[in-house]
Amino acid sequence: MSYIIQFIYAFLSTLGYSVFFKVPRDSVIKSSLSGAIGWLIYIFSVDLLPSSIARTFLAAITVGFLGEFMAKRFKKPATIFTIPGIIPLVPGAGMYYTMLAIIDRDFNSAADIGTEALFIALAIAIGIIVSSSFSRALINLKPKKHNITI
Amino acid sequence: MNTKREAKRLLSMAILAGKIMLENGAETYRVEDTISRICNSRSFITYTEPFVTPTIILLAVGFEDDILTYVQRTKNKTIDLNKIAMVNEFSRNFVSSEMSIDEGFERLREIDRTRPYSNYANILFGGLAGGFFSLLFGGTSNDFICAFIISMFVVKINSFLSKINIIYFVNNFITAAIGTYLAIIFTKLGLGSNMDKIIIGLIMPLVPGVAITNAARDSMLGDFIAGMSRGLEAAIIALSVAFGVGFILIAFHGGM
Repeated sequence: MSYIIQFIYAFLSTLGYSVFFKVPRDSVIKSSLSGAIGWLIYIFSVDLLPSSIARTFLAAITVGFLGEFMAKRFKKPATIFTIPGIIPLVPGAGMYYTMLAIIDRDFNSAADIGTEALFIALAIAIGIIVSSSFSRALINLKPKKHNITI
Repeated sequence: MNTKREAKRLLSMAILAGKIMLENGAETYRVEDTISRICNSRSFITYTEPFVTPTIILLAVGFEDDILTYVQRTKNKTIDLNKIAMVNEFSRNFVSSEMSIDEGFERLREIDRTRPYSNYANILFGGLAGGFFSLLFGGTSNDFICAFIISMFVVKINSFLSKINIIYFVNNFITAAIGTYLAIIFTKLGLGSNMDKIIIGLIMPLVPGVAITNAARDSMLGDFIAGMSRGLEAAIIALSVAFGVGFILIAFHGGM
């Protein structure tokens, strides 16, 4: 039950960001779905992977592959699906708590939370890159078609 | 027919396409790709070499035994994925058809003018984004309402300040500060229960998630200059938001 609620929350907040980032009207639902699925992967894998960095990586790979798949399917650049899709994973909370720790002069936990936030951000980028380069390689393996897709 | 003038027009059209993409948040490799595709599609161009960083586009094309070069500075960074998709589609059409360069210019200017959502929709959905974010991080329904209202304010203030040409550092600082102040007031009035969840929701539209991802991606693809400058951009935006929130927390909520 709580998964469904989390899915809906993630879907609606990604929907808000999709409009905020001006995703084309016909792709808003698709990109919100990729954000919600990414978040679902992130909370589903809690038992499997205790580290939030590893879970973010897993979720980002999912978002990346989904984005590349939809890009191929609907003939749009993958960015319009991946940029809103990664939003629930972005460590905004980590940044906030880092700053809070710095204000309290608790530099140990600031370094602790801050490093984690930084690595989460990197994990998102690596996940997106890994999935996009893999799917590009897969596309190149197929016999070449005459039209070029970007 | 294929005069030098035509080559120059094609060059500046390709630059315009690249500029629209870059100013609306496209990755540098995508901009370079689009520019070379547009130039290479016409047979009188013998050679194309674009070089794109987040603030500048350099393009050299070969025409007969000449090389034409063009430099374009780019400014005002926003994220408008609709324009990226439209320029992408335009370049595909341009490459696969015999579209004239004048028509290409006309279409690109039209793309640059389009606004897919009204101001009100933008503000409303910005509010929804912030509100549901605070729920996602464990806020209550009261927090949702507070974050919704404050996020709408934050989006409105942010777009107003960038309209009157306040530089982005000051803009983010002021926006984050006002948002945090409102969050403190709302919690003190008893409307919201978790101040931190509200603040996390409302700073999310300001946090440079896209810039960090693009910076890492550019560096890992080997575009180190683009990666460095995007990374610096992300760090400075993060700092400005943190200063804005921290300043208000220290001043009005104790601490230090």
